[in-house]
Amino acid sequence: MSISRRKFLGWLAAAGLSTSVTRTARAATTQHFTGYPDSVGVLFDNTRCIGCRKCEAGCNKVNELAAPDQPFDDLAVLDNQRRTSARSYTVVNRYDQVNYLKGPLYRKIQCNHCLEPACASACFVRAFAKSKIGAVTYDETVCVGCRYCMIACPFEIPTYEYDNAITPRVMKCTLCYPRISKGLLPGCVESCPTEALTYAKREDLLQIARERIRRFPQRYVDHIYGEHEMGGTSWLYLSAVPFRQIGMREDLGVTPAPELTAGALSGVPIVVGMWPVLLTGIYAISKRKEKLASEEKELAVTTAVEQAEAAAEAKLAEALAQADEEKKKAIDIEVQKALEEAARPETEEAEKSETEEDS
Amino acid sequence: MEKGKSGLRGAGIFVTVAMISILSMGLGVRGVPPSSDDADKVRADMITIDYLKTFGKLERPAVVFLHDKHTAALEKQNKDCTTCHLSENNRLGPKFKRLKDTHKTEVMDIFHTQCIACHRETAANEEKSGPVSCGDCHKEEITIRSSRQPMGMDKSLHYRHAKAHDNKCEKCHHEYNEQTQKLYYQQGKEGTCRYCHGKTTEEKKVSMRLAAHLSCIDCHRKTLEKNQSAGPVDCSGCHELQEQKMIEVVQKVPRIKRNQPDIVFVKKIGSVDEISNPKTQARMKAVPFSHVAHEDYNDSCRVCHHADLNACASCHTLTGSKEGEQIKLEQAMHNLNAEQSCLGCHQINQQEKQCAGCHASLEQRRKRGEETCLTCHMTALNENTGNTSRADEKALAAKLLDSRVAVTASYKDADVPEKVVIDGLMNQYKAVDLPHRKIVHTLAGNIKDNKLANYFHSDVGTICQGCHHNSPLSTQPPKCASCHGRPFDPDQPLRPGLMAAYHSQCMECHKEMGIKKPVATDCSGCHKEK
Repeated sequence: MSISRRKFLGWLAAAGLSTSVTRTARAATTQHFTGYPDSVGVLFDNTRCIGCRKCEAGCNKVNELAAPDQPFDDLAVLDNQRRTSARSYTVVNRYDQVNYLKGPLYRKIQCNHCLEPACASACFVRAFAKSKIGAVTYDETVCVGCRYCMIACPFEIPTYEYDNAITPRVMKCTLCYPRISKGLLPGCVESCPTEALTYAKREDLLQIARERIRRFPQRYVDHIYGEHEMGGTSWLYLSAVPFRQIGMREDLGVTPAPELTAGALSGVPIVVGMWPVLLTGIYAISKRKEKLASEEKELAVTTAVEQAEAAAEAKLAEALAQADEEKKKAIDIEVQKALEEAARPETEEAEKSETEEDS
Repeated sequence: MEKGKSGLRGAGIFVTVAMISILSMGLGVRGVPPSSDDADKVRADMITIDYLKTFGKLERPAVVFLHDKHTAALEKQNKDCTTCHLSENNRLGPKFKRLKDTHKTEVMDIFHTQCIACHRETAANEEKSGPVSCGDCHKEEITIRSSRQPMGMDKSLHYRHAKAHDNKCEKCHHEYNEQTQKLYYQQGKEGTCRYCHGKTTEEKKVSMRLAAHLSCIDCHRKTLEKNQSAGPVDCSGCHELQEQKMIEVVQKVPRIKRNQPDIVFVKKIGSVDEISNPKTQARMKAVPFSHVAHEDYNDSCRVCHHADLNACASCHTLTGSKEGEQIKLEQAMHNLNAEQSCLGCHQINQQEKQCAGCHASLEQRRKRGEETCLTCHMTALNENTGNTSRADEKALAAKLLDSRVAVTASYKDADVPEKVVIDGLMNQYKAVDLPHRKIVHTLAGNIKDNKLANYFHSDVGTICQGCHHNSPLSTQPPKCASCHGRPFDPDQPLRPGLMAAYHSQCMECHKEMGIKKPVATDCSGCHKEK
């Protein structure tokens, strides 16, 4: 196919337009999201937690979750390390041998409600969304059950109702979004007897945590976990021992999860827009080249054949002419010879007699 | 069909190779388990042989040498320390088969030939022996950890040594004359070795580690040879935690006589004229200090006398001096982080179980009222009181100390309710019957003999403030609910709500004091369910 210059320039312009359609690549820039203003969070202080599991009971009641296998006042379950499950949005784990003088330490595990959640970034149907109040909410009506969110979460929090065949949901702490929207406390925070969980605006929680560390420096590790981890989370932690000793990952870095993938994802529209054009163009050019080449070849062949034919005919004519000439010559010679023959007998006899006489 | 067969074969080979590489990667990720014989060994006698470091970068990894293992093995062969240690100045040197590190190849050769030869010999005698090949000594991965605990003299150990030497101080204590470059004994100047012998060996002054090993172990060894009882000669005897605990401790150690005062003033040191002159006298009141009592409270003199056995103020002057590294008298006495400062040591004492219940929840660096200064700063030494001899000063100090009341004053029992019913919040549980008087008596009884506590709790009702905080001393302190209400009040971000205030007040104290019963998670132990 032959393409005109105008058409080619037109294709190029269309491809260039396609690259401007993208919107999401902005995350991979110098923007740094520090949370919606006035968004809330929860501060967990493990020097106050006594491992009573009342938070688990409160969460279970408020969210109307299924009853657990062991009752919530059974503290023997703390002998094992547990993680969130489809029936419990939050669990408490006990860590012995880390705080030798004062006894075991406890940690409450639940969704950390990141400022830039990985689950929301991975979900292609927008089932997860970061609300303005701070909670990362889940919309089960659009969820397709692909469970990319479970893979994406760096804290391994979302769980899935595998036992539910018809309407399985992804299960994760909701920060009691309906309750906090009404001004109530989250279920776990309300149940805690020692206020190991403090509920306030995230920026106030950071001040409270810093003040606690300032007042009692020998009590706390000088770090607020969640202030910057994975770009910042709404659930903050204070601990008496280094965080890795209570099972929390210290290798996550401060880059939010969406920023980690935005670079690669921003390349997709360009690829989708530019490559077809490029490849089509290359295909067209090479196809045309082929066509031109074949045409040329044909032309060359026909010309060569014609030439050869002409040469052959010329040769034939020449040969024929030559043959004619030779024939003529031969005839002439024969005629000459015959003429000579006719004239010879008289002389021959005379010669013969002469020769006979001689011999 | 042939093409398909080769394709299948290729696929099979690929799958096999992939499986093998994945599995071996998995093994690699888990790491090579440490060798079973040395794995996780924790020893006090671990010495790292890296002396060739002085000659440049090491070509091979440093060698881990277990000293006690070797002494035990040599003992079995009836060999002693002189097998490896050479004598110098009638004492065994610390180095292996040499007195000095002369040259790189020489030192290396000594180690190689001597160690390996002995190992070979022992192995030839069919006994367990050490390594002979390079990589068995110069190991890349060291799996043994050192559990060496630092060792030092304390009052009791010093007393036992002094007794063994008939109180002849010159056996151990010496001074050094720079001119004659000789050691000599000066009576009245004895102090801890650490005043001169520091962390590293300097010219003419070995490190404390070397000094201790050369002197102590040598003396022990010689004493043991005379079949008398002596201290340890092996590493674990001094440096292993369990062995340290087995060292006999003498409870009532007689006072070391070093011309120290009984009771003095802690104050700026100055002449009598300086003190009486208003222009040069110190502005803060002087602090009477019972040196004799503090000798009992501490295990050794160097807890406070960290640089020498003189008065603190001789180096730590009012405005700082070079000897005191510009640390002024105020900082030296009040630094909360240093054990040798008054307040620092008192702060450490607050971490005791009987004290921590209240003191752990008190902010360490809180602003204190001026009256707390007066607990120690008792009198101004001026022209009225200071224009006296040193002996008079000491008498004055003693008199002031006697006048100080050292008793934890509590209210009378009639004013302290026996039971307090806490019924402010009754949701799921009934009211709490708090055995109030019992708690007060227990707290007071715990610190009854603690002079430090008694000095500072001498205002009546001070110990009540452990729970009845942020309010003036009174027999009728305000109710908790007067200040603690709804939780998470943005105006009072650090004030807990009422439920948390009740719970954490009791639970934190129990945790700090190590009280096992009542268990914090046993709700009905304190309040019955409704």
